Amino acid sequence: MTQEYIPKGRAKQIARKMDKIDAASKLPPKKQLIKSRSLRKLISNKLSVIGIVIFTVIVLSSIFASVISPYPPGEVNLRESLRAPSWEHPFGTDKLGRDVFSRVLHGGRISILVGLGSALGAAFVGVLFGSYCGYKGGLLDKTVMRISEVFMSFPQMILVLLLVSMVGQSLANLLIIFILTGWGSVYRMTRSQMLSIREEEYVQALRAFGLNDFIICFKHMLPNAIGPIAVNITLSTAMFILQETSLSFLGLGVPVQIATWGNIINAANNMSILQNNWWIWLPVGAVISLFVLSINFIGDGLRDSTDPTQMG
Amino acid sequence: MLSYIIRRLLTMIPMLLVICFLIFVGMELMPTDPISYMVGPEQIANMTPEKLEEMREALGLNRPFIVRFFEWLGGIARGDFGYSLTNGQPIKDIIAAKLPATIELSLYALLISTVFGVFLGILSAVKRGSTTDSALTVLGMVGISIPEFFFGLVMILVFAINLKWLPIGGRTLPEYTSYWQQFRHVIMPATILGISMTAGVMRYSRSSMLDALNRDFLKTARAKGLPKWRIYILHGFRVALTPVVVLIGFRLPTLVGGSVVVEQIFQWPGIGDAFVTAVRGNNYPLVMMIALLTVTMMLAASLIVDVLTALIDPRVRLE
Repeated sequence: MTQEYIPKGRAKQIARKMDKIDAASKLPPKKQLIKSRSLRKLISNKLSVIGIVIFTVIVLSSIFASVISPYPPGEVNLRESLRAPSWEHPFGTDKLGRDVFSRVLHGGRISILVGLGSALGAAFVGVLFGSYCGYKGGLLDKTVMRISEVFMSFPQMILVLLLVSMVGQSLANLLIIFILTGWGSVYRMTRSQMLSIREEEYVQALRAFGLNDFIICFKHMLPNAIGPIAVNITLSTAMFILQETSLSFLGLGVPVQIATWGNIINAANNMSILQNNWWIWLPVGAVISLFVLSINFIGDGLRDSTDPTQMG
Repeated sequence: MLSYIIRRLLTMIPMLLVICFLIFVGMELMPTDPISYMVGPEQIANMTPEKLEEMREALGLNRPFIVRFFEWLGGIARGDFGYSLTNGQPIKDIIAAKLPATIELSLYALLISTVFGVFLGILSAVKRGSTTDSALTVLGMVGISIPEFFFGLVMILVFAINLKWLPIGGRTLPEYTSYWQQFRHVIMPATILGISMTAGVMRYSRSSMLDALNRDFLKTARAKGLPKWRIYILHGFRVALTPVVVLIGFRLPTLVGGSVVVEQIFQWPGIGDAFVTAVRGNNYPLVMMIALLTVTMMLAASLIVDVLTALIDPRVRLE
């Protein structure tokens, strides 16, 4: 009286999936183009691919700004003041008749430079101290930890503005200020990574071999902490770009003569421009948002792909 | 418990002293004569140079640096924050006038970000892996990627200029008789400040809810056949809430520092606005005092958060 079991509904779906998996497992493994597992995983993440594409497009177009852009960014032409977007001026012109499109392209150079430069600088300082202090511990570690606590007990924006008011506005000052205010978080993260790596047996072995502390720390331990550091660098690039544009928007960032994304959008502080000349601030704002979003997508993808608890 | 609080307080005090010291050094480094912000302006106006020198001696400005630091510290403890450089107003009065506006804005923003962040975070944890979940994740990233000022400008253009639903900026007008009229001003700034923080709260409550959903007692609850909403709200939510409370506690002081840009766009007369104006006008005493205020708030908040977590979770105290 036994009837043959015929799966129904959801069970049927599952059975079909299982069949597919069975079939796939019998095939020979595909040849993989990219060797690194984390890179492969990053590429398979749709969002981070979108992020990488947007990021590359924006970075390349600001690197080749002088080739692409139809006008020099600072060229004043009062007869062409406040023109709406047209074929000659894709993003229109501003009050002084400067081509907004060219300014956005050139402004990208400075804004990206500030963002990436400060993130790399902060990471360099943070990783340098973080890995050595995390590995060695002791008095140096305690001192640097306290210093980072002092920096981190300020709300970021307040500390940045405080330092701007003390040292004045310039591109170099801004970079230094961002590095000063940003190294703390990298330092703490690297340090905590090192604290856990320190307990690994291979480190004990290296120490037993009598290797130099610096070699153990920077050559053998640091590469194992590189994943979270890379994530941190990407995410802090996004943060610094936001901060630079916010500061310049307030008129307290990069000096106004230099075109940056924040300085371009600064013009929208004026009610009549905000209301009547959308092309001056809307495209720049969109570019800033897109760029920061693309970095965040990449950072998120990196976080997933370098996380060893998510193997596969 | 009490000893824990005292121990935390004791680690906080040296920190605060160091920051006070740094701020004092910062003020000393500035090229402004300290007498101009230590004495009220109308007093200075009536004084001859000799009198001024006498005053300097009396105020102890010629005494060694370290002595002056402790006197300055004592002044702060007594509520004497010095005078603003631009209009000679006592800094204490400026802060007292501006702080309520910032706190009002911050509380609304905190409310918005908490309600939306916790709700959306739990929604995406419950529906993890679904389209809703990934859409919310992307939305969260979009939320943190749009600069506050850009978002603010777009909102002003849409809701204030084109639709004329909400006022462009400011906080209150003399003809207002009820709070409801004033409330219309806070909607836009609070929404923007709230949205920029929602993403963080959302991500955090999503992961802590996922954590809670994997616990054994929730599996038991599910196995017992309890209705889903009971599992999620009565059992899961309660466990997931603890870390979220911690996050929100830390958000409160950063709101005071984080509202700088938003206050500028909407001409909200708060601490952030006063701070930017002071930075622009090289009004160092005010800049330093506001910075000191925010640091104190940050430290106090971290103390409160620590104590709260220790109260909720006794394991914390053992560390």
